[in-house]
Amino acid sequence: MNALSQTIISGLFGGAVYALLGIGLVLVYRTSHVLNLAHGESYAVAGITAAAATSHGLPLVWSIVLALVLSSLLSMALYRVVLGPRGHWPMSTLVLITLGAAFLVRGVLNAAIGPDPVSFAPLFRGPPLRILGGIIPLQGLMLIIFGFVLSLGAAMFLQHSRLGKQLLATAENPRAAQLLGINVERARLIAFGLSGLLAGAAAVLLVPLVSVDYQAGLSMTLRGFVAAAIGGMMPTRVVVSGFLLGIFEAAIGSYLGALYQDPVMFGILIVVAVWQSRMIRFGGARRA
Amino acid sequence: MNFVTTWIIAGAATLLAIASPYLGIADWTPGLATVSAFVAVSLMGLNLVFGYCGMLVLGQAAFAAIAAYACFMIFNAGAPIFVGALVGLGLAVVAARLLATVFIRLPGIYLAIGTLGLAYVIEGVTRALPGVTGGASGMVLRAQLQLGDNGWYAIAVALLLIAVVSMCLLLKGSTARSLQLLRRDELATEVAGIDVTRLKVKMFTIGATYTAVGGIALSQYVTVVSPEMGGASMSLEYLAMVIIGGAGSLLGPIVGSVIVHWLFAASGAAQKYELLVFGASFFLVVLFAPRGVVGLVEGLIARISTWRAVSLSTAEAPLAVTVSQTSAAGRRLDLPSKIEASLVIEAVTKNFGGVTAVKSVSLNVYPGEIVALLGPNGAGKSTLLNVLSGIETMDSGSISLSGQAISALPIHERSKMMGRSFQVPRLIGDMSVLQNVLVRVDQIFPEKSETERLEIATAQLKSLGLDQYAHARAQEITIGLHKLIDIARASVGNLPVMLLDEPGVGLSGQELERLRAIITRLRDGGAAVVVVDHNIQFILSLADRILVMEGGAQIALGSADQVMADKHVQRAYLGAFS
Repeated sequence: MNALSQTIISGLFGGAVYALLGIGLVLVYRTSHVLNLAHGESYAVAGITAAAATSHGLPLVWSIVLALVLSSLLSMALYRVVLGPRGHWPMSTLVLITLGAAFLVRGVLNAAIGPDPVSFAPLFRGPPLRILGGIIPLQGLMLIIFGFVLSLGAAMFLQHSRLGKQLLATAENPRAAQLLGINVERARLIAFGLSGLLAGAAAVLLVPLVSVDYQAGLSMTLRGFVAAAIGGMMPTRVVVSGFLLGIFEAAIGSYLGALYQDPVMFGILIVVAVWQSRMIRFGGARRA
Repeated sequence: MNFVTTWIIAGAATLLAIASPYLGIADWTPGLATVSAFVAVSLMGLNLVFGYCGMLVLGQAAFAAIAAYACFMIFNAGAPIFVGALVGLGLAVVAARLLATVFIRLPGIYLAIGTLGLAYVIEGVTRALPGVTGGASGMVLRAQLQLGDNGWYAIAVALLLIAVVSMCLLLKGSTARSLQLLRRDELATEVAGIDVTRLKVKMFTIGATYTAVGGIALSQYVTVVSPEMGGASMSLEYLAMVIIGGAGSLLGPIVGSVIVHWLFAASGAAQKYELLVFGASFFLVVLFAPRGVVGLVEGLIARISTWRAVSLSTAEAPLAVTVSQTSAAGRRLDLPSKIEASLVIEAVTKNFGGVTAVKSVSLNVYPGEIVALLGPNGAGKSTLLNVLSGIETMDSGSISLSGQAISALPIHERSKMMGRSFQVPRLIGDMSVLQNVLVRVDQIFPEKSETERLEIATAQLKSLGLDQYAHARAQEITIGLHKLIDIARASVGNLPVMLLDEPGVGLSGQELERLRAIITRLRDGGAAVVVVDHNIQFILSLADRILVMEGGAQIALGSADQVMADKHVQRAYLGAFS
């Protein structure tokens, strides 16, 4: 087994997940200017739902469908019921609300399945493939492929399709968008739903390889945010930065040790936060 | 309720609270109360940063962990406990001070993310270095101070009392006012003359100190530290407790800590639902009770006392207004025979990307004169004003004020020499009008006592005929009055230069006349006044000289008659009328 190939393979796993979560955060941020700290909860809910449903005897395919439906519904409900009616509240309060929602979901998941990590069988089964001296399970290959296709597809959709452009326009200037006949409420609901779906997809693809527990949500949100922030909240760039981050993280794991992954990645998060905010003055308040 | 009764009730409530673990409340033991009190001390640090300063910090527990870990390492290496505690505390404070310079510049959401990252880093590092920190399983204290439950509880009560009293002392008078402004409006805080960066760094560091003290005390009591202690989860639980108790109130952290700890202990059997209860209450409080339990109780008390007040006289004793000559009129300048310009603007240019908003504008404004900036929308008037007050940086040119070059000074330094009002007044709605003015008085007269400042602010409002609103909250009065109050605030201390951004917009005819009187008074007091306004009739009758701008450039400068006669002006700006 070749260490470098193996590093790249596991880096691509991580990259796919970073990209899928990052693009969802960007989708929501670019349509409603809210950083959704409950974004990763869609991941946790999808993973745990699929695991619980299969263990109760539901066929795998239907479990996955159920998981994806729930993860998008969760995200949509967050907007429809909680954030939407409070659109005029200050941004930091809205962020706190999403944090509260993340806490709530975490509590529900903990009450439902307890503290132990869960998993379920891979959808794609077959003998592991050997590529360039590395070993990759079929599910892993699918994770990489789907991660790429879905996140890049979402980015293309945002930047090039009519509906995607409408979604972006709603955030730049909701009033103007409304005047142009764009249904802002609907656009944002779609964005939240899609972002939940993408987080759910990441869970469905990754959880068979790396199990999930009730508190996985927040760290997934932050991983997505690192990718999103490095990509400057631009859809296509987020996909690229997501994959690069995944490979970088895997390299740290291989050459420094897995325990160093978290400190280094979150250290990068701090640096990125500082870098991204360098041009913003006066707490981002409106000018005189 | 008079003053003495309030103190008696507060004292009795404190004693009752201290005695509460011995009153037989289920699960509320001295041990649990000790933990709650130590955590409350840590939370008071977060409350200072988040509740009072409005900084969304999601990694506060990191400072508790840094201090506690360092303390454990030094103590376990054989040093006496107080050495360990002092070094741990010192390390956390130094770390906070260094991190503050990075973090406090981050606006809301980036600060939240950055500090959350910090918590993960601290947790990850303690986990990744088993040789130094004990790794995932943490460290055990080599020996606990043998004080017994009651001894520890006494220490906890003493520490909490010290924390509360010191917090009271920290948050009195001008600091409280500055923070109230800072939390709502950073730009207005700068313009009021407050060094926002310094203030935030200071509060962030002090907040981390409280958190570190609480962390050291708690870890000594429970005799273990583990990576989770400084992690994101713990930090978020801190935040949840502060919010549940009441962010921005003195007792909020204590109430939050006690409620959450007691609920956890009481629901001990149902540990599975612990996080759910926690999450649900946090979520509900954020949505429906932004000021937490303390806010709910205060609201209830306020309702009861207004109900009682129907029969009682509620009129506040009016403040004795003794205007000392120095404060109101003493700074008035006598116009010298040879006048030197108060404000000298030389070839100021400002570009926004490819657009030149202000194109090489030069202007001298003399003491005792009103210069108006006129021009169509987008002419660069407001930008020029923002460049003068330092809100925008300029690309070239120079500005001097009373002979001193100010081009390189930050906003708050310039604000000590010039007053500035805003197009949209930036008053804080739930502060009284007097408090809104006091924030500025604090900065202009830092050497005066609280009583003297109060007199100056009252006199300032009185001299502009606004004293009947002094004790009204800003949100209760009309927007037109907001503008006048904003000007009253900006003109505190009769500074040599006044910048007024569209003071007349939105005022009624009567208010406009009042504004005219106020601006004329400022001029007669010797100030160099620069006014931007769209109301041409108003400007023509008010200004001594008018600078007309178009597309960033100055196209005319002179008296009203001269400017009106200028062909360029007629074409560019008044074309519609001629």
